[in-house]
Amino acid sequence: MAQLGRYRLLTVLITIFIVTAFVVGCAPQEAPPEQPDVEDTTTDDTTDDTTTDDTVAKTSIIILIPDNPAEFHGYGAGTGFEEAISEMVMLSVSEIDDLGNYFPELATEIPTVENGGVVMDEETWETVVTWHLREDVYWEDGEQVTADDVIFTWDAFLAAEIWSSATDATEYVKKIDDFTIEVKYYYPNPEYAIHFGGEDFPIFAEHFCDADQGYYEWDCNRQPLSDGPYILQEWVADDHLTFVRNENYYEEGKPYIDEVIFRIVPQESVKRAMMDEGDADVHYWPAENNALSYMEEGNGTKFAISPTERWVMKIFPNLKARGDTPGEETIPHPILADKRVRKALRMAIDVDTIINDIFLGFGEPVWSEFFRPPFEDSCGIPRPAFDMEAAKALIKEAGWEDTDGDGVNECHGCLYAEEGDLMTMEFMIYAEYGETLEFAHQFIAEAWAALGIETKLSIVEGAVLWAQVEDGGIELAGNFDINMWDNGYGGVDPTSYLWDYYYYASDSEWNLANWTGEEAETVAALVDELYSTDEEYRMEVFCDIAWILEEELPAIELFSTLEMFGLSDRMQGVKPTAFDILTWNVADWTVSE
Amino acid sequence: MGQYIVRRLLQAIPMLLLVSILLFALVNVAPGGPLSQFSRSRRMTAERAESLKRQFGLDKPLTVQYIVWLAGNDWMAIDTDGNGITDSYGTRKGVLRGDFGFSYQNREPVLPQIMDRLPNTVYLMGLTLIVVAIIAIPIGIISAVKQYSAFDITVTTLSFMGQAIPEFWLGLILILIFYVGLDNPVTGKSLLPGGGMYTIGAEFSLIDRIRHLILPVSMGVVGWVAWWSRFLRSSMLEVINQDYIRTARAKGQNERKVLYRHALKNALIPLVTMIMIDFPYVFTGAIVVEQLFSWPGMGRMYYDAATSRDYPMLMGVLILGSMVIILSNLMADIIYAYLDPRVRYD
Repeated sequence: MAQLGRYRLLTVLITIFIVTAFVVGCAPQEAPPEQPDVEDTTTDDTTDDTTTDDTVAKTSIIILIPDNPAEFHGYGAGTGFEEAISEMVMLSVSEIDDLGNYFPELATEIPTVENGGVVMDEETWETVVTWHLREDVYWEDGEQVTADDVIFTWDAFLAAEIWSSATDATEYVKKIDDFTIEVKYYYPNPEYAIHFGGEDFPIFAEHFCDADQGYYEWDCNRQPLSDGPYILQEWVADDHLTFVRNENYYEEGKPYIDEVIFRIVPQESVKRAMMDEGDADVHYWPAENNALSYMEEGNGTKFAISPTERWVMKIFPNLKARGDTPGEETIPHPILADKRVRKALRMAIDVDTIINDIFLGFGEPVWSEFFRPPFEDSCGIPRPAFDMEAAKALIKEAGWEDTDGDGVNECHGCLYAEEGDLMTMEFMIYAEYGETLEFAHQFIAEAWAALGIETKLSIVEGAVLWAQVEDGGIELAGNFDINMWDNGYGGVDPTSYLWDYYYYASDSEWNLANWTGEEAETVAALVDELYSTDEEYRMEVFCDIAWILEEELPAIELFSTLEMFGLSDRMQGVKPTAFDILTWNVADWTVSE
Repeated sequence: MGQYIVRRLLQAIPMLLLVSILLFALVNVAPGGPLSQFSRSRRMTAERAESLKRQFGLDKPLTVQYIVWLAGNDWMAIDTDGNGITDSYGTRKGVLRGDFGFSYQNREPVLPQIMDRLPNTVYLMGLTLIVVAIIAIPIGIISAVKQYSAFDITVTTLSFMGQAIPEFWLGLILILIFYVGLDNPVTGKSLLPGGGMYTIGAEFSLIDRIRHLILPVSMGVVGWVAWWSRFLRSSMLEVINQDYIRTARAKGQNERKVLYRHALKNALIPLVTMIMIDFPYVFTGAIVVEQLFSWPGMGRMYYDAATSRDYPMLMGVLILGSMVIILSNLMADIIYAYLDPRVRYD
């Protein structure tokens, strides 16, 4: 009987646990973080008319993203969705549209030489840019958006030691009056038009954010005050963010959609199912197979793509011996330092097959950094041919030949390796991209094997590939032979991007290919020439750089991976762009009946 | 028993300390670092990266980092602004005083974030475990009692299938059938939701909560039921062939009484131990279920922290898991002794 009593007690305890678990789990969610008093905030009907994942209201949409954004700007975290949510609530001084045109947001117009907003001293090259701000933009608490907010954000940005082309170029940013800002540059800043704008520079409210907390740490990164089209109503981490219409938004009648929900759904196939079931309206960056289904007619979905591409899949050859970090005595890579080998590697890659059969047609061949507007026709550089025979001949010419018949070339008169050394290298990609990149990885390795190049295929986490040297980072330590990943630049002007990846300097850790020598120095000098207001001249310089890169191949561009999105049929006005983030024009989005 | 519990709890302290040292070392020596996300871009200057490292204390030797994690830094001068000069005392209290640090990802304190997700995981996994018990125990009993019957053979086959089916695949199939395939005949919408804990924006509804639970719980239940029912079947078979059961029958006890009063109670004892071994999942969550069903729980938090090398968050989740494992093992021993009068720890 005593044992029976014990079981009863145990049963009671389990019952208490069940009830507790259910009560805790079923408890209504906590109220959203308290926002400051708002004079004329969102009306109740928008929140009452909320969506469900079963019944989506007409003025409410759901955007599916895979990761929980960390905060409301993209400098402190890297999920890629921080910028998308910051565009919902915060305006910038200026922005870029989907065709690459600058347009004012908080500013009344984009300063130019013609309208007197840009004045350059012809002797010293010092340039002064004057921004005039709109006087009809208010924060959600009723405070006016002024020059103080812009300068406050800029100061916080500087204090956080974030690099941008503007930080190097700027002598000062000062307030002339409440709605006028003057910026003085040491030299012409080609990206001055988005100095306080673009996807990465939302303006924060000075009176709301605590400067002492710092740009990365301040609370307004997670509970921002809105002057944008929407107000953050609720953020349930790893579940959803709900934005409701900002009734005080300066563009009358906008935004058109009452409520936008970012729902965090990690699994790609579940996102696709939700789109098919009509439970979501935007599938952010779908996988290629899902994008294909969105292109089909009659399934309630459609497909949106940016007019130009941004992300380019590239091969980064290490031109120095593995582990030979920048700044030290350079030892050339035994195989890749010879540009004939790099050219042969490119010739052996059938880019069209990769695009069509692996990426299901979602990609465009790219062979130059200057493949998208404002550049035309890749500066006239002809598309390289896929030619295995020519690649083999070039490898042989470079002194690599398989004389023992084991399928792997040995050095016979090559430039940088010992006689008899095998043509063996490691070929690395990052794991997070997924299986399409893995297939491309294998496909390219097979093609190179046909040339007599043996590659050891490695797949590593991005957190290891791009980590700091002391954390075991592979690239920054130079511990690689050939890597493949995608990159690209936002905005219109690639000057900063060129600085990132091609500006040769002995202490530059972003010159991933470890590209040095006379040509690298020439490119560096040409990049310096880009700090000019003479657009025609700049275009010439860009193309000069393009031709040197084509000849030297410090990176091998393969194809663009498209900026694409799945949309429900009812979504209107969504304009994906290579220059900014998807939500750049969220205020213009509508849903059809 | 009381003495035994106290002794085990005291033993758990050095054990936890040892586990924390091992975990801290493993987490930190693994390749990759929390600043890797910035390394592809010049936006984070090398100087800023160094400064951040100093601010986060990542420039210190691992032993110092561990001591700070454990005991805080409010007793030592640190470099708060990362300029290379120690300027004031730190503010961290350390895990021993309930401060798990702040997440490198979002700069928010770790503990409140864990406390936000923990109820979600307890809710899902706790109910899963309970449903498993409700289904697995009767199946195990009937299978044992009706050994080699059609029921037993069917259940055995299904159990093997249940154990063999990949959890992830099963989840996808459940979504395909109940979310994509079948519609509610009344509303015309999907029969069950494909993910999430509740309908966003809707008023609280118990039915809505239950609907959102059905698929993730079902996914978790299949494998566990298969395993537990097989275990109970074996245990029950062993017991019902014991002499005391034969004696009970010989004394004229009815079969029901023999099975439920004499056999089951003893057969359940090993199962209780097994349940307690599985119990930590209630707190640590299941990554696959939470990923697939967009459930904002501990499993996803752990996965995200691991991939982004968010060490404080990772350590927070791992230490919580370790504590629960140690405690549930202790609980298993206590319950074992409580249920089986033959077991004495004194």
